[in-house]
Amino acid sequence: MKESYTRADETELIRASLDGDRMAFGEIVNRYRKMVARTIRGMLGDTVYSEDLGQEVFVKLYHSLSEFRGDSKLATYIQRIAVNLTLNEIKRRKRFLSLFSQKGSDEMYEMEVADENKEEKQEAKEIVGKALMALDPKFRIIVTMRMLQGYSTKETAEILELPLGTVLSRLSRAQEQLKDILQNL
Amino acid sequence: MERPEIKNLIISSLNPGTDTEPIARQLEDEGVSYDYSNKFTAKVLDKIFEAGLTINREQEFITKLSSVFYRIALTGVAAIVLLMISIFIMGGSFSINSLLGIGDTIDESIVCLLTGN
Repeated sequence: MKESYTRADETELIRASLDGDRMAFGEIVNRYRKMVARTIRGMLGDTVYSEDLGQEVFVKLYHSLSEFRGDSKLATYIQRIAVNLTLNEIKRRKRFLSLFSQKGSDEMYEMEVADENKEEKQEAKEIVGKALMALDPKFRIIVTMRMLQGYSTKETAEILELPLGTVLSRLSRAQEQLKDILQNL
Repeated sequence: MERPEIKNLIISSLNPGTDTEPIARQLEDEGVSYDYSNKFTAKVLDKIFEAGLTINREQEFITKLSSVFYRIALTGVAAIVLLMISIFIMGGSFSINSLLGIGDTIDESIVCLLTGN
């Protein structure tokens, strides 16, 4: 076992993690935690659940690491896990909220983000957060990938496992929706 | 950065041909950054390694072992079916005598066989 993996490449980190090296997997977590946080917090807002979900992403990654064949980048693989878990969480919350209210779950996220941002007083973050929460989740994920992660449309399509045409059409519809939302912010 | 500039940046990030990497960086510089608490990595590692969860290779071994078990079980079932068919063909029924292989023997020959006379 190595003492530090800060300069190790991904293949080495994966191999060592599969051998049960805690430090190696810790390095993977450190390298990708911000990326996962951007996806989950972009989709769910700055809620307390987003940290739990982030942990779940890495636990799931650890248990599926032996299935990772290296056909795509490790970052893409982690993004897929993060996106799937986040979309499942959104569905779960919508089901839960529909039992108690006629209003959608997005309203709750918006309130949570607004409260958090009052304390932080970060204007740009507040605008981005509110705009994202006001978007339809299927558009929100695409906007998160483009705006917060900086992925190209091709990379977005690859991560979301959607045809490029679908991504492009959703991007255009998201842009229209976002223009209306931002006018009122 | 002024409010309208931020809004324009957000909108422009959705143009299909735009290189969004600089936009994401610019937004990050403006405070649109996300991360978890300092203890995040430690919490993840504790969840994985201290909850007594086994390593993937061990799980892989168990999965392979169970698939081998199924194969052996299927082979066994196939052997039993073949045996039953051959018994039915030879004995003409599934009676106890046929199953024991004494369907065609007469009592006297069994007595002779057992007593040695």
